[in-house]
Amino acid sequence: MLIGSLPVAGLDFSTLPQQLTDGLLLGFIYALIALGYTMVYGVLKLINFAHGEVFMFGAYAALFTSWALGYTPNHALGTGTPWMLGVMLLAAMTFCGLLGVLIERLAYRPLRTQPRIASLITAIGISLLLQYGGQIFLPLNQNIDSKINPFGGSLEIALSGSAKVDTVALDAEVKSASEKFDAYLKSSGEDAFNLKTDEGRSLRNAKQDAERKLRDAKSAGEGKTLVISYGKLIAMGTTIVLMIGLTYLVLFTKAGRAMRAVSHDFDAASLMGINVNTIVTFTFALGSCLAGAGAMMVATFYAGTKIDTFFGMVLGVKAFVAAVLGGIGNIPGAVLGGLLMGVTEGLVAWAGSTAYKDAVAFVVLILVLLLRPGGLLGSAKVEKV
Amino acid sequence: MSTFWNWKTAVATLALAVAVGCSGGGESTTPTNEGKTPDAGGTSAAARPTPTAPTVKAEGDTIKIGIVGSLTGDQKPWGDDSIKGAEMAVAEFNAAGGVNGKKIELLIGDSASKPDQAKSATEKLLSDGVIGIVGEVASGNTIQIASAAFEKSVPVVAVGATRTDLTDKGTHVVRVCYTDDFQGPVMAKFAYDDLGLRKVGIITDNKAPYSQGLSKSFEKTFKELGGEIVGEVFYETGQTDFTGPINEIKGKTPDGLFLSGYFPEVGPMAQAIRNSGMKDVKLLGGDGWDSPQILTSGGDAILGAFMCNHYNNKESRPIVQEFLTKYKKENGGKEPATTMAALGYDAMALILDAVKRAKSLDSVALMEALNETEGFEGVSGTINLKGRGGNPDKQALVVEIRPLAEGFQVFRKAYAPSDLVKN
Amino acid sequence: MNQFWLVRAGSFVLAFAFAFALDAAFGGGGYAQRLVMLAALWVTLAVSLNLINGITGQFSMGHAGFYAVGAYTAAILTTLNPALAEQNKLAWLLLMIPTGALVGAIAGFVVGVPSLRLRGDYLAIVTLGFGEIVRIVAQNINIKTPKGDVGGAYGFTLDVKLTAVWVAWMLAIAVIAICRNLLRTAHGLAFLAVREDEVAALAMGVNVTRTKVTAFVIGSAMAGAAGAILALFEGRASPDMFTMDQSFIVVTMVVLGGTGSITGSVLAALLLFYLPEKTRELSNMPISSVAGLFIGIGVAVSLARMIQQRYHGPVAQRIGLNFGAIGAGVVTMAVIGFVLQQVPAIAAQPLVAGAKLRMVVFAIVLIVLMLLRPQGVLGHHEFSWDWVRRTLFRKPAEVPA
Repeated sequence: MLIGSLPVAGLDFSTLPQQLTDGLLLGFIYALIALGYTMVYGVLKLINFAHGEVFMFGAYAALFTSWALGYTPNHALGTGTPWMLGVMLLAAMTFCGLLGVLIERLAYRPLRTQPRIASLITAIGISLLLQYGGQIFLPLNQNIDSKINPFGGSLEIALSGSAKVDTVALDAEVKSASEKFDAYLKSSGEDAFNLKTDEGRSLRNAKQDAERKLRDAKSAGEGKTLVISYGKLIAMGTTIVLMIGLTYLVLFTKAGRAMRAVSHDFDAASLMGINVNTIVTFTFALGSCLAGAGAMMVATFYAGTKIDTFFGMVLGVKAFVAAVLGGIGNIPGAVLGGLLMGVTEGLVAWAGSTAYKDAVAFVVLILVLLLRPGGLLGSAKVEKV
Repeated sequence: MSTFWNWKTAVATLALAVAVGCSGGGESTTPTNEGKTPDAGGTSAAARPTPTAPTVKAEGDTIKIGIVGSLTGDQKPWGDDSIKGAEMAVAEFNAAGGVNGKKIELLIGDSASKPDQAKSATEKLLSDGVIGIVGEVASGNTIQIASAAFEKSVPVVAVGATRTDLTDKGTHVVRVCYTDDFQGPVMAKFAYDDLGLRKVGIITDNKAPYSQGLSKSFEKTFKELGGEIVGEVFYETGQTDFTGPINEIKGKTPDGLFLSGYFPEVGPMAQAIRNSGMKDVKLLGGDGWDSPQILTSGGDAILGAFMCNHYNNKESRPIVQEFLTKYKKENGGKEPATTMAALGYDAMALILDAVKRAKSLDSVALMEALNETEGFEGVSGTINLKGRGGNPDKQALVVEIRPLAEGFQVFRKAYAPSDLVKN
Repeated sequence: MNQFWLVRAGSFVLAFAFAFALDAAFGGGGYAQRLVMLAALWVTLAVSLNLINGITGQFSMGHAGFYAVGAYTAAILTTLNPALAEQNKLAWLLLMIPTGALVGAIAGFVVGVPSLRLRGDYLAIVTLGFGEIVRIVAQNINIKTPKGDVGGAYGFTLDVKLTAVWVAWMLAIAVIAICRNLLRTAHGLAFLAVREDEVAALAMGVNVTRTKVTAFVIGSAMAGAAGAILALFEGRASPDMFTMDQSFIVVTMVVLGGTGSITGSVLAALLLFYLPEKTRELSNMPISSVAGLFIGIGVAVSLARMIQQRYHGPVAQRIGLNFGAIGAGVVTMAVIGFVLQQVPAIAAQPLVAGAKLRMVVFAIVLIVLMLLRPQGVLGHHEFSWDWVRRTLFRKPAEVPA
């Protein structure tokens, strides 16, 4: 038996910075979604399995907003403006916030006094309902037009200087070969892809050989650059701003204090005069808003990303893993877990085993949990007797 | 409290059974050839087993034909299209009066994009008395349809299942698409000869059997031609971030990339490839790319890429233009979202053509008629099945992706199966 | 022979008779056979997960992984030894079941060991991860055979097809019997003790470590055995047969039936397996009716819940009120459906194919059942002959010594 494409020896260190950077940037998105899982868990001790579907609807909200702004599949508009992105972000966050509150009201609140596992099943039910119900009403395989994003370019940082290659001779060779080939095409009236004579084919091969030589010479002298798309940097910036906002909210406002109180002891908080229902609703709204923001940014800045009703599955599970990795219920833990997940994926891809990328993420999780059963920042509580 | 099965007994029994199991497994090194041995070759048309079950007769005043497609699940867009295409063919056939005064009744089964559900759906259709089945888009699901239909001697026409060994399942399986063993080599040859590529990287959707098979056959031919495969990297359907595999392959400086997956992932991947700094690398792919959606998901990055397709929407053959006009009329002016609409139409039209030619209205006669097909004119090309083991000798077209204004898929080159043999 | 052995022998004969009766009735192939076969496998899965989740309280969400391990074991061995399998199909099947169970048990042990340190949701995510790891590894398994490389995402297609309804049902019955009888032993009570309170169990001298691992090993061995039957019955094993949602559905069966109740797991497994199959026959309907249906169900469920919580009158009245709630739901559905149908834009929409609603119906049934009966259909109750006797003959049951 042969298991294909296991990590191979001979690691290429030149791609490491790029893989780590991209992993880290993705990690911010994981962290954003993981926050939703972890906040709900902190307050209700419930895994919100429908969170991935809230995230999915966030992408749809962003998609429909972009359509409303004129970027329908067959538009003829130029590049968008930053305020359009702002509108999409707001729309996705608002819609997701409302959806999260609605789900909490319909599926979780009626079961709050029941065993948690009952809520888990309704969560799975809601998740299936949104996925398959959505398939009936929503357009599938859609994407937000990448033109709406005005930050399409990339930041390029040179890592190693490029060697100076003298390509003058090669350039001339390519030029003459392609001129000969073009002249042949013109004289014989043939199509470049359907050559009839050996003469034509040999001319074409000569042109291709010249081009290849030039290409090889150029790539040999090419220095390594770190490429970071502006869109992803903006996504990272937005994520950091949102996280700072969240930290402020949780640590320095009345609602945040109430949230922490509810998370610490649900019953005692309610005895202290905290309106627990309001706080739970607030938590769901907040977590879902962050998921909406994450969805909008994935759908816009990861240009062309497919939006369908299973959009939340892959990222949802990854974010869930991130939340557990950091210690579920712990807000800084979720961020740390998300970033760690992203970086781990980058490292796995760098090690050359993209086929096992997701499996390795889980293996890392299992190893971490074996060493720290409560996650990185969480505490494994001894169960009360 | 006394027990019959205490847990020790249970474990002991399990252990005993396991021990028996292991010793039995050890004997497997001495296979005996008594009884019916499964054929090992299975590549030639002659090796295809013929179903032996009694034929299913068309009873009642309609002829029941089934179609299994993904009405739900992640392959829904393809499933919906194949069903739309099949429905169009049935409507045309019935409008033309049916056969012997009998009309076709189309029964639809949902495969839910899963092989086990595809089989359940097929069994359901078979129990409803269908005499022919239009199969699935994906090979993994179609093989299950085929194995269920084998038990009832009901023919299966696969829509988009390009897996090569699919038709080895039995003489009851035929298809309207070409196989991976054709499409992969076509693109390899095109890349090597016409584009002059020598160092190609492959990006495979590891969750899609289609993509894995296509990558494999591309790699084989490209190496045989003398080219170098610099590496193969993987992603999974539904993944949104492709930087990992792209950075990995970028480090190997390919001059071309073969993206064997489906268009929803290929589009964003093309953009990510360009954004990563691989500006001049040529992109190539298979028929999984066929959708106008790739132009929006791929943006400018996908322009100038080459793909392999069954037919070209600009072809002048009247059946193509008729099909497209009709499709647009029935679907609010939209072009088919995937290539499966045309293939679904062809698969159903092929069955209906065979129904007309069949000696009697039953499944075995239909199966024979299908295998006798010659010169059937479909949207996706002319289909000959006689003596070909269920695989049509269709052309494959290599097209270049251009903006919609230039016609989206611009024809570049046509390959017939014979073009590959003579090399 | 005393009564004890008589009852045991009798049950054994009855079990065989039941399994063979099913075989005789449905063994002929086709859709009916398929449903009966798969039902047995789902029952096995649900009952075996119930041992881990319900009885021992170890929250596992990777059962599809164990199922896959068993299926892949059988599929790979059959691919490597096609001639041997062909020689005596039944013997091969009976051989593959314990082999699948063994490999399943090993996998269960591997997953069970981390469970010693993890609790609740952490264990859930680890087992979920195990299921995904199995799927991803399966996607990358390639085996060289005379036919060329097989495996990968396409999986294994077997030339040998082995079907025996009675074997599948005997497995299901055996699994039920093992779980039921386990609960009557001191060792079985340890499982319950671990679920109820680990610390207290430890204090009472229960070896918590061994109990948890045993539950994982036995439960996953059963799933592995079911997997082996599946692979040989389908003639196929591929990664897309064992996805995460498969695991979720098994968990749902256990919870819906009533956590810890074997009878409940069996009933819920049958319900949730047959539901999507039976809904294949749903007819096409206009979008307005679909919307009406959703809202109607919502109204009926809210009313029923209100009655459940606020009204504590005699049973007959409560049943009457519940019928009223259902009636209100039906009326709402009709009214909303009718009103929406009057809007030209909605009426012009194409009909929704009934088959597309299959999973939606499934999801709604889940939510509704859970809202109305959070403790599961049977709660902690079990089917027992005493209960039958009580209900049928209205006699107080004898308490067994």
